[in-house]
Amino acid sequence: MDNRLMVQEGQLLAVFNSGHRVMKAENLLKSHNMGILLIPAPRQLQTDCGLAIRFNEQDRDAIMSVLEQNELLPEFLSRYGSAEFVTIWKHNQI
Amino acid sequence: MQTLDCRKMDCPAPVINVKKALETSSELTVLLDDGAPRENVVRFAKNRGFQVAEKNESNYWTISISPADNSEITAVQAAADHDQVILISSDKMGEGPEELGKLLMRNFIHTLVETETLPSKIFFMNSGVSLTCEGSELLEAMGKLANLGVEFFSCGLCLDFFGLKDKLRIGNTTNMLTTAETMLSTAKVIKL
Repeated sequence: MDNRLMVQEGQLLAVFNSGHRVMKAENLLKSHNMGILLIPAPRQLQTDCGLAIRFNEQDRDAIMSVLEQNELLPEFLSRYGSAEFVTIWKHNQI
Repeated sequence: MQTLDCRKMDCPAPVINVKKALETSSELTVLLDDGAPRENVVRFAKNRGFQVAEKNESNYWTISISPADNSEITAVQAAADHDQVILISSDKMGEGPEELGKLLMRNFIHTLVETETLPSKIFFMNSGVSLTCEGSELLEAMGKLANLGVEFFSCGLCLDFFGLKDKLRIGNTTNMLTTAETMLSTAKVIKL
């Protein structure tokens, strides 16, 4: 049920494995005026710190580039579509 | 039995109408469009301890709301027994580093969108009022909660103190009398 989720169809979630890293990433992306929102990771996603950064597809490249330059890449990216989360990128696959 | 036609209404109107009707009626039949209006009303009624029966008509739903199994308990009483109010008296959750406290508070409100049980009202006092004002990152989540029947009240004195009177973006302004009366007459108050 979309109205009980903070994520909408087509949006992406960057999931981190550390609270410190996700908070740093949030501050960094906000300082670059990126349209992001730090939210609790939906229960379908297994995470260590339980937090994820939500953004829209069109901002993906800019956001990932800033995170990479600052060595703050997430553990994985997940896209929400047709009522499920699909992992579309993993850190160790670089 | 009272019948309420909530078809063609946008959220949160159906939930608000049902909530008002249940203050005086013990049983209710509601006609609703499929999707968010139906989901929100069903969740709201179950959350308040009512029994809910759903029937799919040709292009709408009939929802019958009645008191739960124990027939001695009136619907109004059932709602009162399940009533939970949250008092948020800071923009931070707990003692400790400010950044972590603010993160935890945001996390809590965002998480409420997903929880099974919802409070009927959330009161914001002291620095907590910044959460309902312009610039708050919680307005989207609070909008979703409002659609599910949660009401938001921010302390007028606090808004004035912080110069936020014109910046309130969700819910209503309230005073200490209403806040105190609500706290003293509600089954469960959770203070953060």
